[in-house]
Amino acid sequence: MSDDQRRVHNRLAVLRTERGLSRKQLADKLGINYQTIGYIERGDYNPSLELALTIAQLFRLPVEAIFSLKPMTPLSEEIFGEPPAGA
Amino acid sequence: MLGTGDIDVNTPITSQVEYLPRSRRRLLVAIALVGYPLAAALLAGLKHTGLNRWLILAIFLVLLLPTVATLLLGYRYARGRIDGRRGRLDERDLALRQQAYALSHRVLAVVLVAATAITEIYLASGNTLRFDANTFWPVTTWVIIYIPALPSLMLTWIETDQPADV
Repeated sequence: MSDDQRRVHNRLAVLRTERGLSRKQLADKLGINYQTIGYIERGDYNPSLELALTIAQLFRLPVEAIFSLKPMTPLSEEIFGEPPAGA
Repeated sequence: MLGTGDIDVNTPITSQVEYLPRSRRRLLVAIALVGYPLAAALLAGLKHTGLNRWLILAIFLVLLLPTVATLLLGYRYARGRIDGRRGRLDERDLALRQQAYALSHRVLAVVLVAATAITEIYLASGNTLRFDANTFWPVTTWVIIYIPALPSLMLTWIETDQPADV
């Protein structure tokens, strides 16, 4: 990702692991190179709108639940409204 | 449109080149870029010595070897993403290819401007420029080697380290 490009935060790694998918399996479902998944997860590559929407469709989630301009908070905190114990 | 990469992550890595860290890749690119001009300059210098012609040729070829090796590594790293031989490039590959071409263009522009400026200074100092086989072949070889290789080398230069396979 170039330095002047704004970072888009995402929960792709969490969602992928939750669904028991490897990068290769997710990449095959999306029709992209498996390395691209790794770059997106690491925040080194911002996906196109088309790819972001395809990912959201695949996980059956709104796109803003996966991608955000602000750092992602833990899902448990978002669901229950409190930081997890010990945090 | 989006395409699937054809590298199987479950098989052992066929080429360690793909997983070279960026710092090492950049070193290889630097060797590829300066190797041939250095070898050609040394060849020009050695021609004026009393060394045996075959020995000069041998020294030149030995010096050329790292350039050839690093150029091949650059091609291997780009693995068909520059010339489109990989067939299905995804959006990140296409964006990266575009960046590599843009950077190649900038590098080429800098080289041309620098070469023109040096020639201008050389001529303005009262020297004359002879365009014979001794100058024609190094320049032609440089053009033949580097212009096609530059986008692959730039892609090798700019791509960030690959994420570890999970």
